[in-house]
Amino acid sequence: MKKVLAVLIALSMILCLGLAACKGGNEPTNPAAPDGTNATEEKETEFDYNAVKDDPVSADGKYEIAFVTDVGSLKDQSFNQGTWEGIKRYASENNKTYKYYQPANGDKATDDDRFNAMKAAADAGAKIVVCAGFLQETALKKAALEFTDVKFVFIDGYTLYTKYDETTKSGVAGTEIKNVAPISFQEEQSGYLAGFAAVKEGYTKLGFTGGGGGENPACCRFGYGFVQGANDAAKELNIKVDMNYSWLYGATFSASPDLQAMLNGWYTNGTQAIFCCGGNMCQSAFDAAGANDGKVIGVDVDQSSQSDTVITSATKGLREAVIFALDKFYTDKFDELGGVSTVLGAANDAVGLPTANWGLTKFSLDDYNKLFASIKDGSVKVSNDYAKLAEDSFANVNLTIVK
Amino acid sequence: MVFLIQQTLAYAVPLMIVALAGVFAERSGIINLALEGIMIFGAFVGVQFVKIMQEKEAFTVEQGQILLLVTLLACAVAGALFSLLLSFSAIKLKADQTLGGTALNMLAPALVLFLINVVAKQNILRIPGSSAKWFMIKKSTLGIPGDKDIGFFGEIFLNKVYISTYICIIAFIVLSIILYKTKFGLRLRACGENPQAADSLGINVYKMRYTGTTISGALAGVGGFVYALGAAGCSASGEVAGFGFLALAVMIFGNWNPGNIAVSALLFGLFKCIAASYSSIDINGDGVYLLANIGISSHVYRLLPYLITIIVLAFTSKKSRAPKAEGIPYDKGAR
Repeated sequence: MKKVLAVLIALSMILCLGLAACKGGNEPTNPAAPDGTNATEEKETEFDYNAVKDDPVSADGKYEIAFVTDVGSLKDQSFNQGTWEGIKRYASENNKTYKYYQPANGDKATDDDRFNAMKAAADAGAKIVVCAGFLQETALKKAALEFTDVKFVFIDGYTLYTKYDETTKSGVAGTEIKNVAPISFQEEQSGYLAGFAAVKEGYTKLGFTGGGGGENPACCRFGYGFVQGANDAAKELNIKVDMNYSWLYGATFSASPDLQAMLNGWYTNGTQAIFCCGGNMCQSAFDAAGANDGKVIGVDVDQSSQSDTVITSATKGLREAVIFALDKFYTDKFDELGGVSTVLGAANDAVGLPTANWGLTKFSLDDYNKLFASIKDGSVKVSNDYAKLAEDSFANVNLTIVK
Repeated sequence: MVFLIQQTLAYAVPLMIVALAGVFAERSGIINLALEGIMIFGAFVGVQFVKIMQEKEAFTVEQGQILLLVTLLACAVAGALFSLLLSFSAIKLKADQTLGGTALNMLAPALVLFLINVVAKQNILRIPGSSAKWFMIKKSTLGIPGDKDIGFFGEIFLNKVYISTYICIIAFIVLSIILYKTKFGLRLRACGENPQAADSLGINVYKMRYTGTTISGALAGVGGFVYALGAAGCSASGEVAGFGFLALAVMIFGNWNPGNIAVSALLFGLFKCIAASYSSIDINGDGVYLLANIGISSHVYRLLPYLITIIVLAFTSKKSRAPKAEGIPYDKGAR
């Protein structure tokens, strides 16, 4: 008996290791970007992000460019991944060392966990730390004040101050933390374009499911813009559009059976396309859409490669923004960004729908370009005051807020 | 209505099969608290297996059902092997079973997250193909046009279902019969009630307990993958949303009796389904979402599954009776 057991336990361990080794063996078949070898790809200008390693080892153990996530996983196929790819691209093209740090405790990471991740980055010789997500605020402020020689980029962020006015709750001018460069996006414009395109494409029953429980400003702007876009398109077509709008089951940006059950219910009742706005949550949406032959609108980056249910994605230029900030830093122009809020939108070509592989038929690429131009020149204005969503009345959208 | 029943089954089936896993272990005298951990491990092995198979293109999309069957088998083996850690510590080393199970529950997510990080360099393991496309049986899979009405039961049982649901239901029935109507089942149960008496009649108690726990592990491993498939888009992330513990609750709720367990799993699944999708449940098909319109706060719906459990337990717990010898290491010398 004893021997049999020993053998079985040994086998179970081998199984584990074997599975790990199997995959490990496949890894190096992705050589680091040899020029011209991916000639089979039609888009030769396309940068192969997967070819750049996620965890290269630097010779001296120092890593100049660091990336710290807030919640969710590095490869969430949207927000974190987009930011990370910007870093990888800049670093590989400019021969810089880079490393990512994920705070301990995953989705339940505390401010201390995030600070420790930033500290680890600074200790490992980081000159510039890219922090993604507005949840970083508290940790970032502490880290920026402690490591004054290190520069920080605050993606989806806003200007941080050392002093705040008690009555107005706003920062006192002159006390901006200069080594933090906040960069945010006009997500409402991207959401608007997606909502407009979806309705013009013929979808009249839409859904919106967002992450962060309605507390994440970026997701709120996406959602608010989406409703406005759908409303304007419906007005042009003179139709009524139904929309379910929910922040349920997405507080930690993770997929869950409950989220999937809810979305299954929406699709079953006729919802045709759901705008899923929040990292790993998309897994639930893809699955529900796959089961019900529904459609999904992706977020942050072009998600069409992840599921064929994705009709378009409301993107923001995370990669471009990171590269922009890193470039400023390495050309000694970081002061232009430090302590000043940089807001990127249609005017900077930093938001929009992916135009490569345009998959919509009734709403053509020309229509899109026209609409984009009018947002860019300001003739179409999209509000970002998402607190008004509940009070606004949309003439052509029956908005059902699912709580 | 179809949606309500299907979604209830999606919740209830993993609960049912894992609760039965608990019954097999406990009826043989081993408390299997490690159900959650085994599920997590089973889910990981299943997803990794599918991933490797899809990457190596060993199966085509049309052979998805075959791949699913093979994967379920792999999960059963993985779960059984993982559960050996528990049975070895509990039976051979006579360790405290509660602690052993708890240890496995802590080990599994850590180990699985570590392995996911090794193989995928991230916190979540996904398969390259779409799980709905590969594994889900739809009307189109069966060659029926998508808009053809195949009747109420047809819609429930032949559209948007996974074959694993039926396998689990059949396994549940067959194993329940084995447990109650065969010589083997009687012996297994005897070992959980009075192992000394069983031993005196020439039954090898150790062997029986190993068998019970191994079957338990296999079922929990399968349950883990069924969860991952139906509720997580065939992805593994080192957690199964507490379904292992819920299954333990369902087992106690069902008084260690398969029939009662099936009922309680369905009841719990129904209320979980109502909680998640009350706003889109159309009970009689008239386009009115009654539950959303009667003005009850959504929080009440979300409380229901747990509230019902507490209420029913309060009324039934007096009659509930665990196997007498569970949790006590068998000692041949004790009389």
